[in-house]
Amino acid sequence: MDAQPDPAAERDLFAAEDLTAAEAHAVASADLRAGVAWLAFGVAVLVGSITMDRLQNQHINPYTVPGLLPGCLGIATVLLGALLGIRSWRRGGRFLDVAWVRMSGAMVRRLAVVIGLVVVYSVVLVGHGLPFWLASAIFIVASILLLQRPQRAAAGRRLNARDVLFALTVGLASGWLITLVFQDAFLVRLP
Amino acid sequence: MSGLADLLQAYLGFMNPTSIALGLGGALLGIIVGILPGLSATLVIALLTTITIKLPAHNAILVLICSYVGALYGGSRTAILLNIPGTAANAASCADGYALAQRGEAGRAIGIATSGAFTGTLFGVLCLAAFTPSLAEVALSFGAYEFFWLALFGVTMSGTIVGNDPIKGWLMGALGLFVAQIGQEGLYAYNRFTFGWDELSGGISLIPALVGAFGLAEILTTLAEPAEKQLVELKDSVLPRFREVFQYWKTVLRSGVIGVLTGLLPGVGEDSGAWMSYAAAKATSKEKELFGKGSIDGLMAAETGDMASIPGHIIPALALGIPGSAPSAVLLAAMIIHGIQPGPMMMIEHPHFVYQVVAMTTLATITILIFGLFLVKPLLLILRIRRSVLMPVIYLLCTVGAFASASRLFDIYAMLAIGIGAFFLRRRGYQMAPFVLGLVLGPLLDKSLRRGLVLSDGSLAPFFTRPISLAFAIVTIFTMMLYIPAFKAGVQRVTGGFGSMVRSAVGRQPKGET
Repeated sequence: MDAQPDPAAERDLFAAEDLTAAEAHAVASADLRAGVAWLAFGVAVLVGSITMDRLQNQHINPYTVPGLLPGCLGIATVLLGALLGIRSWRRGGRFLDVAWVRMSGAMVRRLAVVIGLVVVYSVVLVGHGLPFWLASAIFIVASILLLQRPQRAAAGRRLNARDVLFALTVGLASGWLITLVFQDAFLVRLP
Repeated sequence: MSGLADLLQAYLGFMNPTSIALGLGGALLGIIVGILPGLSATLVIALLTTITIKLPAHNAILVLICSYVGALYGGSRTAILLNIPGTAANAASCADGYALAQRGEAGRAIGIATSGAFTGTLFGVLCLAAFTPSLAEVALSFGAYEFFWLALFGVTMSGTIVGNDPIKGWLMGALGLFVAQIGQEGLYAYNRFTFGWDELSGGISLIPALVGAFGLAEILTTLAEPAEKQLVELKDSVLPRFREVFQYWKTVLRSGVIGVLTGLLPGVGEDSGAWMSYAAAKATSKEKELFGKGSIDGLMAAETGDMASIPGHIIPALALGIPGSAPSAVLLAAMIIHGIQPGPMMMIEHPHFVYQVVAMTTLATITILIFGLFLVKPLLLILRIRRSVLMPVIYLLCTVGAFASASRLFDIYAMLAIGIGAFFLRRRGYQMAPFVLGLVLGPLLDKSLRRGLVLSDGSLAPFFTRPISLAFAIVTIFTMMLYIPAFKAGVQRVTGGFGSMVRSAVGRQPKGET
């Protein structure tokens, strides 16, 4: 009987994949850099664990030093990072993930905007005296207006009062509703 | 008999308007989050843990379990109508569900998913009631050595099974275990890796980390790729189809058993329950050629399998304190927040709690049937909200969720850092589930290793010589070694085709998180 080759059964660490040469190269080189980064991280953890206080002045049992497990994890990370690096070095590149596609320029710009918005909201607006509902409303209005800009541009129209009114309504309503539900109904503290 | 009396007592305990309203609310939120592609059961449970923090323990856990069941159930809607799994567990339902929808039978597909989900969860609940007390009893004989291996086994299995690349899975597992070591350790209150930073001595809390990894990372993913897909029009009736449950009873029963068994394995995730049930149904079905093209058998298998694995995941979480998946890891953390420590001692300290969980899961099953009957069409309106509006609102919830459990601004910053880190790691094929398992099991692994070494006076022998330890050690090491080509070739020579058959069933995994 002819056995069908089963792709799942072929999962091993060094198998080659029928990727295009360019794809394989991209994955392999990305994984090689990642392997080196993991290796460095593992070494740092290991050094941190070895140099960690062994609490000898407290006369603790030497098998219970605080750095024991972190040290083992450092070694495991070094080994796995090296394995990842070696696999890429050999141009394996088998484990292509669908998410592994280069980001387009537009995507990078959108991402930068979103990260900028969440960082400003979480680090600057929240927790420094501004009421939560107000901080949230500002964040939502700014997010909606900025994130919908490409759509407006594609439709060839400019920002109008209706867009601003919509964003304001969503922003104020969600800020108010979250405060009401979390703080007043479920007695949860808000930042 | 006392077990039955406890169970009855537990059911009666939830027969009050407050509990029923909370259960329905939890399931409804779960379904809504499940319907939204990308937002996962883990996220909804983490966020609801925050909101229910001041509720009594039994009502809080009820809300969480209902949202867990609801999210996985809701995810099948998106799989059927959009061909995108609402949660990773619904990926196996996509092909057949979407094919049925394209034939104009979307309502029928949803009805089948509802009946499969209902029967699957109910079957799982029966197993939960039957096996948890006995497993906890067995686990009473476990010592530090067994728990060391169990924790390691959970993280390794999760790294092996989830995603496509075991090395990346194990690296994420190791990273999760490492992050769990940051802060004050349990034996001597020594600050590890805090670099003199006071905020870090409390450690990285689980809820902010999860909200970052599953919430913010998903918001970034969704907003970075703004492509919106077209919904398939829903024309026919969405009523549950119990006639098909009887017609395909073998599939339902088989998928129920597979779902519960995969649920029992630590770190494997709900999606494995669905894929393995699907693979088994395909292997035995009379209509193999229909699989992937609108097979009722396939859809039923996938939906029964993933839902049956929910109670399956709760079994080890309750009896051993080892969660089976990322959502059950949050559930476990929530139980600890509410003063119930899951694990072998739970049957002694809180003997009624297991039966309460059984009652909660049954209630959750009934709520999804109710929503499946009455609220399918209105709930789908949520998919029409623009992402540029919805996602910022979700981020507000993430911020509140990260902050509220400890009222620390530091938790918001941790959520932010982990979320942005998780986004970039996920794009490179690193999965979050092993990281979460590592984060949850890190303290147990550390404690068990050091306690074990004290007991054995530094000898590693008991880690390998006690029978249960030995079994876990063999399975853990064997699983990892299978990915070394020379070792695998040797095993294949010995076992012939058997190993590849089993691993092919396990190996077919979707990408994404539950």
